Amino acid sequence: MAAPLQRRALWAEGLLLVAICLFCIFPFYWMVTTSLKTQVVALQSPPAWVFTPTLANYWEVLFEDKVGASLINSIIVAVCTTALAVILGTPAAYALARFEFRGKQDLWFWFITNRFVSPVVLAFPVFLISRELGLRDTHLALILMYLTFTLPIVIWICTDQFRSIPRELDEAALLEGASQWRIFRSICLPLAMPGVAVSSILSFIFSWNELLFAYILAPKAAKTAPAMAITFMEGYDVPYGKIMATSTLIVIPVLIFALIASKHLVRGLTMGAVK
Amino acid sequence: MTAHVRRKTIVAFLGPAVAALLLVGIAPLLYAVWKSLHNFNLTKQAQTKFVGLSNYAEVLTDLSFWQAMGRTATLFLISVPIQIALGLLIAIVLHRPGLTLFKTLTRLSLVLPMATTYAVVGLLAQVMLNQKYGVVNQMLGWIGIDPINFIGDPTNAFIAVIIWDIWQWTPFVALVLLAGLSTVPPEIEEAAQLETKSQWLVLRYVQLPFLIPSLVAVLILRTADTLKLFDMPFTMTRGGPGSATEFIAVLIERVGNRQFDIGLASAQAIIMLAITIFLARLYIRFFYREVN
Amino acid sequence: MKLKMHVSALALCASTLALGAQANAWTLEEAAKPYAGTELEVLFLDRPGYNAAIQMLPEFEAATGIKVNYTVVPYENALGEQVRDFAAGGDLDIALIDLVWIGNFAENGWVVPSETFINNAELADPALNMDDFFPLVLNAFGSWNGVNYGLPFDNYSGLLFYNRCMLEAAGFDKPPATWQEVMDTYGPALTKDGKYAYALQSKRNETQSADSFARFLWPFGGSFLNAEFKSNLLSPESQAGLQFRQDLMKFMPEGIVAYDHAETVNAFAQGDVAMITEWSAFYSTVVNPETSAVADCVEIAPEPTGPAGRKPALGGFSLAVASQADEAEQAAGWLFIQWVTSAANAGRYLEMGGVPARQSAYADPALAETFKFIPALVESWQEGVPEFRPRFAEWPSITEIVQEYGTKMMLGEVSIEEGAKTIGEQMEAVLAEAGYYDGAKPLAQ
Repeated sequence: MAAPLQRRALWAEGLLLVAICLFCIFPFYWMVTTSLKTQVVALQSPPAWVFTPTLANYWEVLFEDKVGASLINSIIVAVCTTALAVILGTPAAYALARFEFRGKQDLWFWFITNRFVSPVVLAFPVFLISRELGLRDTHLALILMYLTFTLPIVIWICTDQFRSIPRELDEAALLEGASQWRIFRSICLPLAMPGVAVSSILSFIFSWNELLFAYILAPKAAKTAPAMAITFMEGYDVPYGKIMATSTLIVIPVLIFALIASKHLVRGLTMGAVK
Repeated sequence: MTAHVRRKTIVAFLGPAVAALLLVGIAPLLYAVWKSLHNFNLTKQAQTKFVGLSNYAEVLTDLSFWQAMGRTATLFLISVPIQIALGLLIAIVLHRPGLTLFKTLTRLSLVLPMATTYAVVGLLAQVMLNQKYGVVNQMLGWIGIDPINFIGDPTNAFIAVIIWDIWQWTPFVALVLLAGLSTVPPEIEEAAQLETKSQWLVLRYVQLPFLIPSLVAVLILRTADTLKLFDMPFTMTRGGPGSATEFIAVLIERVGNRQFDIGLASAQAIIMLAITIFLARLYIRFFYREVN
Repeated sequence: MKLKMHVSALALCASTLALGAQANAWTLEEAAKPYAGTELEVLFLDRPGYNAAIQMLPEFEAATGIKVNYTVVPYENALGEQVRDFAAGGDLDIALIDLVWIGNFAENGWVVPSETFINNAELADPALNMDDFFPLVLNAFGSWNGVNYGLPFDNYSGLLFYNRCMLEAAGFDKPPATWQEVMDTYGPALTKDGKYAYALQSKRNETQSADSFARFLWPFGGSFLNAEFKSNLLSPESQAGLQFRQDLMKFMPEGIVAYDHAETVNAFAQGDVAMITEWSAFYSTVVNPETSAVADCVEIAPEPTGPAGRKPALGGFSLAVASQADEAEQAAGWLFIQWVTSAANAGRYLEMGGVPARQSAYADPALAETFKFIPALVESWQEGVPEFRPRFAEWPSITEIVQEYGTKMMLGEVSIEEGAKTIGEQMEAVLAEAGYYDGAKPLAQ
């Protein structure tokens, strides 16, 4: 008697799982298929499910509309800010994990608080400052501003990681007269590589997705891909195919990275609150 | 053991990171505070003058500002409970044994929405929700529902934002809660399963206590992200129609970027930040108590 | 009028000067020689006039050695991008000025008066002939307080696009002449079976103020401001116009408040809507069979008249030299602006989808057969209102207020009167702060 009931429950569970997957994935399916439609097909009512796909939208956005250049800008900015965050953040994480000092708790809170500051708070003053310093429309301005969220992520995740490394290792090294820097550099950092990798991927994703700073600080030469995507929203003509082609190009790298880091994405989003 | 290290070493390790965050996080903030005390409009820089707290007085008495705050709070109060309910359901299903391959695939697909570029979510929403060309209305037509004007009607546009917020963040809530469920010691859970057949009782008395930290984390982060919410409504509705989806960050962007009133926008941003920090401190004190 | 005379006198003086001095000597190639290799930065929109200019660019670049780097931005971002660039001393060399931005750009000193270049015989083309521009357009798009800055480049007038086939099927052999006819006869007859008589783009951005709100003020005798610069929105005429717009909504598709140009033109091009009032620039879209299902049915007429006359919507962009550019860039910028808006290029510009503001370009009556909008356009540019939307520096603040409460009115969230009252109060607060009421600033719009 229990068996059919259980089987039915299993079926229900399976169906629910399929529904969840469809719910998550369908928008991406629609994005990709729309990007393969000509404008005439994209504006068919009701929408077409079967059509002759074309790569023309990709060709056009990549080479005529400078989306290619904006993707390169996005890569430059995301990679540099991530590298900088790792260089600055790992020693700090090490210190938070290993050293005792006054005000540590407050420093901790301050790092977390950055996760809560809305970019809209910083964007206008930074625009004004960047014009004074001649940093307007440069990669550097974005790289620096993105540290406001990449650095806390690196610090958070790596602190956790350093804590999990047995202290016996550095104590032994200390006895042999190694400096703290050497211990960090040669013993702990290599062991903390998984954390560094995860936080790098997360930093990359968050930098890649950022819109508001990019939109205000980098109008042209350093324009990133999300800022580029919104320039197609001209009231005169909405080229759905091109918008979706650009969106697809933007989203694919983050999805790949997200899948690679899928186990740790939640940890990154919660700043290590959930392991 | 406590490592006895010299002050100089600590400074050397922490200094660069702290200096960088001071430079990019705190310095602009102070500059914003300074500007918020001025009548400062990018298109009227000649008329810039110190006005004390009058921008703040203007914000505090500005109906649009509080309406946008109210809208932001409404969004939070509607969409977060739904996200928690659905997320809990998904987490419980994924936590049950069996169908392993299926569940791994589901877990992977859950990762996708929350990593998606927020601006792209808004663009995608625009394409899918279009009254005439949109696939969502086509699907509604299959079950006999007339096309809904999602973007053009104030209530529907607000609902559309809620739906996409749920799409993007329910997976996140589900995965956070799933992580919480995995902290329940298996032997306790198994013992409880033997005692009762009611999944509800197991949830209520066995699993819930272990879920509390995850739930609080969800509340904290969803609060912060809702206050920050800009990209998705900006690319989907630009705050419209009327002001129906003008959430607080969208409003501030409009004042600063389209009215060019940076003094006023800074005052709005500082007030929003004060509210955020107040809430964050409250939550963090509560939640991260056990961290050290 | 005074302005017009001023400008014409200037142009006349400049052209005689140039004619006398070196009529035979001036060529673009010669004038551009010192500036070969100069790069110009300018913002363009993704609209037909710009696409036409982009097609013409290689020729200019080949003749002069000057490179024009254009960045395409959506209209919605164009003001912000330029304000931030000029405020930051950025790299834009040419300003793209919507008529409502001219006061702002001029008062900030971001653009150079054209006089500077017209008086420079090395740079001024003897064939420049400023008088050839429609005076209304030259004045409204490029001039502020009697000084000309920009030459009209991408020019619009509001026109009535109508679907002849739909009108004929409903028993109309001509378009409505008055708004009252739209309300009383065309509206009821054409709104049926999921089709609508009329669509009015009303989205909450400049479209709401320019295309929707102002369009129903002026023909009804209303206006934003009275002679003392106080709100005129509560006057019986303004109220009548806004009420008329509200009543007309029953003949428009639902959700009209979310319609921008794209949605409106599309609804017309798909045959869902019988009439729209849109900018001349959309002509090429609605008569192109690739983008329009009703290409063969499209006809154009001037906008319907109201109790106060025609007063059609007026809009468009001029190009002006940016004062932040260095000397070579300024000279090169002027050469480009002068060239792209020249009478000599106007015909080609028209062919390729642009709408020139040169009177001479429309002289040939045969053109009206290919470009059906020409007669209505020429007529509209005779009697438009330059301050259709006030053009002073405060417009960016005021348009935001109009956009917010204009859409709220249409959505029924506030009554016409409450909305008008709120707009009026907030508008006056902006003007008071700017110093119009204490005599600090002249009452110019």
